[in-house]
Amino acid sequence: MNDVHRASSVGWVGRESRRSPAGNLVTQSPNGSLDQSVGSPPLAGESPATPPQHPGLGALLRPQRGRLAVAAVLQVVAAAVGLAPYVAVAGIAGVLLSPADADSSAVWRWVLVAVGGLVVRTAFTALAYSITHLADADLGLDLRLRLADRLGRVPLGWFTERSSGRVKRVLQDDVHALHHLVAHALNDLVAAVVAPLVAIGYLCWVDWRLALVCLIPLPLYALAYGWMMRDAPAQMVKWSEAKDRLNATLVEFVSGIAVVKTFGRARRAHERFRRAGDDHAEFFGQWVGPMLRVEAIATVIISPPVMLLVSLSASAWFVGAGWIDPVDVVPFLMLAVGLGGPVLSLGFGAQAMRTATEAAQRLGELLDTPVLPTPERPRTPAGARVEFAGVRFSYDGRTTVLDDVDLVLEPGTVTALVGASGSGKSTLARLLPRFFDPDAGEVRIGGADIRQLTDRSLYRQVGFVFQETSLLRASVRDNIRLARPDADDASVEAAARAAQVHERIARLPRGYDSVVGVDAQLSGGEAQRVSIARALLADNPVLVLDEATAFADPSSEAAVQDALSELVAGRTLLVIAHRLHTITAADRIVVLDGGRIAQSGRHADLLAEPGPYARLWHARVEHTADGAGLDPPAGLDPPAGLAASTEEPSR
Amino acid sequence: MIRQLMSLTDVEDRGRFSRYLLAIVGYGVLQGLSIVLVIPVLRSLLRGDASAAAPWIGALAGVVALACAAFYGQAMIGFQIALGLLRGMHHRVGDHLVRVPLGWFSTDRTGRLAHSMSQGTEMIIGVPAHLLQPLVTGVVTPLTVASGMLLFDWRLGLAALGTAPALVCVYRWAGRLLSRTSHRVDAAAVESAGRVVEFAQAQPVLRAFGRTAEGHRMLEDALAEQRHAARAAFRGGVPGLAGFAVAVQAAFVVILVVGAARAVGGSVDVAELVGLLVMATRFTGPLIEVADLGAALRLAGHDLERIEEVLAVPPLAEPAAPAAATTDAGRGTGVSLQGVSFGYDDSGNVLHDVSFDVPPGTMTALVGASGSGKTTVTRLVARFFDVDAGSVRVGGTDVRAMSTEDLMSRLSLVFQDVYLFDDTIEANIRVGRVDATDGQVREAARLARVDEIIERLPDGWQTRVGEGGAVLSGGERQRVSIARALLKDASVVLLDEATAALDPVNEAAVQETIGALSGDRTLIVVAHRLATVVAADQIVVLDEGRVVQRGVHSDLVREPGRYADFWRERVQARGWRLVDRDLARR
Repeated sequence: MNDVHRASSVGWVGRESRRSPAGNLVTQSPNGSLDQSVGSPPLAGESPATPPQHPGLGALLRPQRGRLAVAAVLQVVAAAVGLAPYVAVAGIAGVLLSPADADSSAVWRWVLVAVGGLVVRTAFTALAYSITHLADADLGLDLRLRLADRLGRVPLGWFTERSSGRVKRVLQDDVHALHHLVAHALNDLVAAVVAPLVAIGYLCWVDWRLALVCLIPLPLYALAYGWMMRDAPAQMVKWSEAKDRLNATLVEFVSGIAVVKTFGRARRAHERFRRAGDDHAEFFGQWVGPMLRVEAIATVIISPPVMLLVSLSASAWFVGAGWIDPVDVVPFLMLAVGLGGPVLSLGFGAQAMRTATEAAQRLGELLDTPVLPTPERPRTPAGARVEFAGVRFSYDGRTTVLDDVDLVLEPGTVTALVGASGSGKSTLARLLPRFFDPDAGEVRIGGADIRQLTDRSLYRQVGFVFQETSLLRASVRDNIRLARPDADDASVEAAARAAQVHERIARLPRGYDSVVGVDAQLSGGEAQRVSIARALLADNPVLVLDEATAFADPSSEAAVQDALSELVAGRTLLVIAHRLHTITAADRIVVLDGGRIAQSGRHADLLAEPGPYARLWHARVEHTADGAGLDPPAGLDPPAGLAASTEEPSR
Repeated sequence: MIRQLMSLTDVEDRGRFSRYLLAIVGYGVLQGLSIVLVIPVLRSLLRGDASAAAPWIGALAGVVALACAAFYGQAMIGFQIALGLLRGMHHRVGDHLVRVPLGWFSTDRTGRLAHSMSQGTEMIIGVPAHLLQPLVTGVVTPLTVASGMLLFDWRLGLAALGTAPALVCVYRWAGRLLSRTSHRVDAAAVESAGRVVEFAQAQPVLRAFGRTAEGHRMLEDALAEQRHAARAAFRGGVPGLAGFAVAVQAAFVVILVVGAARAVGGSVDVAELVGLLVMATRFTGPLIEVADLGAALRLAGHDLERIEEVLAVPPLAEPAAPAAATTDAGRGTGVSLQGVSFGYDDSGNVLHDVSFDVPPGTMTALVGASGSGKTTVTRLVARFFDVDAGSVRVGGTDVRAMSTEDLMSRLSLVFQDVYLFDDTIEANIRVGRVDATDGQVREAARLARVDEIIERLPDGWQTRVGEGGAVLSGGERQRVSIARALLKDASVVLLDEATAALDPVNEAAVQETIGALSGDRTLIVVAHRLATVVAADQIVVLDEGRVVQRGVHSDLVREPGRYADFWRERVQARGWRLVDRDLARR
């Protein structure tokens, strides 16, 4: 009966691949191998010994529990009703073989039973799958919304290349694994459990002794399978590792091929790649080979021919011994033969369950990422005076990046942060837009700790422009008016003009309606100017800026620089400075060294005293010819004594 | 598909395929035969004559033994084939990749290739390992059973066989419907996943501009659309989903009705009819498997296609008799482009008739707006691609006439996309010259300012850089690659300055590199820094793929044109102040 039962799953499972249990085993992807190292930072007060408890599969499925239960009930009924055709054939045999004259209406009644059973079963199964698919669509939406909500509240510093890779993986693979489980596998699993149980029950009802004999192959299979899987978990780990190794070699070979070729090492790299592949195949062979033998034998034991042979021989024996009415062997020949099938389905179902459990684990972790605490009673900043008070910060809890930093940005002033790379200037600047919270001390705006502000009131005060531009796949207009979705076209255009990008936008195929990345292919400098236009329109009184932005795209430096000059005018500015000559006129230059403020003051004063600033200034002059020639203030004489010629074109 | 699989397998592993196919077809036939044998056994049993059944059971035992042997055999051979495929695909792709033009390797492509080589190969080896057998059995067994029915009752047999064409049609139709709907669902899934990832990546900006508190409309729209698409697709796909199952059941009903009619008419032996009906219940099962497996097979087919696409990329032609470049012992190797035209694809040429000479030991700066073809020139010199017209000569010899190894031994490349191996910094520099002394490695590192990075890192020279150099910033990666190129000490250096402009320390590294190399090396630099341009022995100004000006700075800057404009803009940009004194006073 399992055969007809399985008709229900035709196509429903079509898009997912089905494999034999051992096939699943050997080709399963090493889920989680990448993510274990990316785990979220431990929560405060959490003992490191116990792994954090995240909502598991059950918790994730809870909202859809009702629907899934209804589907399961429908599936149970469908699987039971699926027995009808077999009972009908047995019934027809009974009618035809009865000593009395064959009653044709009784035969047709049995035919109706068979047809009715098939119809009911198909309808119920279709209903069950419809329900699970609806449940899945809602679950998917719910999960994604919850994920988005969580992502909107975690610390900005959490977002790195790795974490976005993780988000992508969870969304693509793990939500899909849940889809497979919810929409397909659960129903299949219910059917795979119920159908053989009903069949076995029916056979026992017909004749329990013959039933017992016919079922002998099943425990044999279970034994063989258990033996085969005895050290599967350990082997799975090894297999994952072997696959990771191979993938690493592959990525290295493919990504590094330009390097190995240009350095004349292609032959060696190729050799290594080949060897890695051969090693992998060899490992695969040594591991799976012996297991495969057992698996093949186990599968043979419950294959239809063997089950048929067993039940036919047993039937002959029982009939010969006179223990059973000959007509009663008919159901055994039909049902016992196919009992092996659902065993395989159970394997698939268990596999889907395992995969989904792992997926749920990762999803749960992501949904449990610690969020920035929101203030219970939010404060409102009084003014735009920014204060850093006794700020200490460390990324990993061990190396201190900022130590006891005190700094005040008076409204309308320009403060430049300078220092060698690793001195902490970028980190300090990023504390203000709350990419991270300090470990000790406070960052205050208008007298209020920024942790006591709502996101809204913080970002109404503070804007930022960093080197990495972030345009959304939306129209240029929507990108510019991100902060003020209700801004009219005139304001959008004014911002774009001020940011030197209006003309470029006007040349796009659909002007301001062109979609970034679709029909608006912008160069780095152009994208930067769009993001500057966005900041102009947002019009925050305090601005954090990375000065390198001005030089990020050599082909349009001038335009970006003009846009920046427009943007910074009149704002309280905190700038991460790399090229010292661009900020010599700052109200205050703060020199960071090893996470502490080493010096602070105006350019001329700092230059006059011996200290890190003077060292940085002179180091710069020594090492960069451009700087040496062009700085300061006379400016335009390039090296190699070509001053005269440079003046000329500007005349 | 078998042929495709065979072509990917090493030659010595191909012999197994025919035995494998024989075994799986054999198993299907034998399984069908064992079901057919139910009829004579049942005929005896229903007469209550168990002893008459004995010889038939004996025959059945024989068939079953053969079937078991066939199954076991195909499992073993199938596994060997899978192993051979795994090896073969790896070899074929590896052998091919070393011959593909370097220009083919974009980040996008390599990502996809890595995916199809790992996940894709798994799907593909699944075909011989466990996909093909149930598929073939699912078709062969019912056919055997139906043929067997013909022997016993031709009408019933015909009814069974007659359903086959209908089943095939429904199967195809359902498959098409399903793949159409699944395309729509996939598209919606890709869109919404893309939106969430964008939402994560753009989080700083979204938050700063107040888009998270009030909800991010684009994301919500995409998610709602996905749910909508999933539901709509499901509704539209229901006939496709249920169609084949219904058809198979209808086939069963047909056989049942025909059988019942014949029994009621009394025109068939009762025992035989019961046997036939038992066979009919066994007829439909394997067919249903076919639908599931067919879908899995299609997926594997897509992976196979992707691998074949890679293998279809035309390799770079290696000369049969490589010519050597001439290197002037005193002055090094020159480079010349003559009438070079080139386009990446059919969308038009990137370079038009570009000609210039770079005499040995001189520096040429390539100048022009982004997209003017500067980087393409350096790529053609390194033969990442072959020119469409004209020629590129290194040391007087056409690069196409040189062996790849010979050409590469003469070039050092510092390009924008730097790849570092997951190894120590020292080992990554040493890639430049494996037999370099420690002193030489240190010297190259010092010139490229890698020593400053080393100081900062916990494990110094032995710090591992992570896959692709993940531990280092972009500028730092480029410095390592500069050190690598310095260490290689080739006679021609191709240097792309573009990202070097990002970071002042990097600029200094490039500066020192050029200083160390100029004089006895031939340099071609994609230049943005004024100092580089001014110091060049020759400036080639490109505009939309054509050479528009050529000469030295002192001459070019005097004549009106692209170069003068470029120079003016750059000088202005250099002198820019983020804050000037007027502003600061405001």
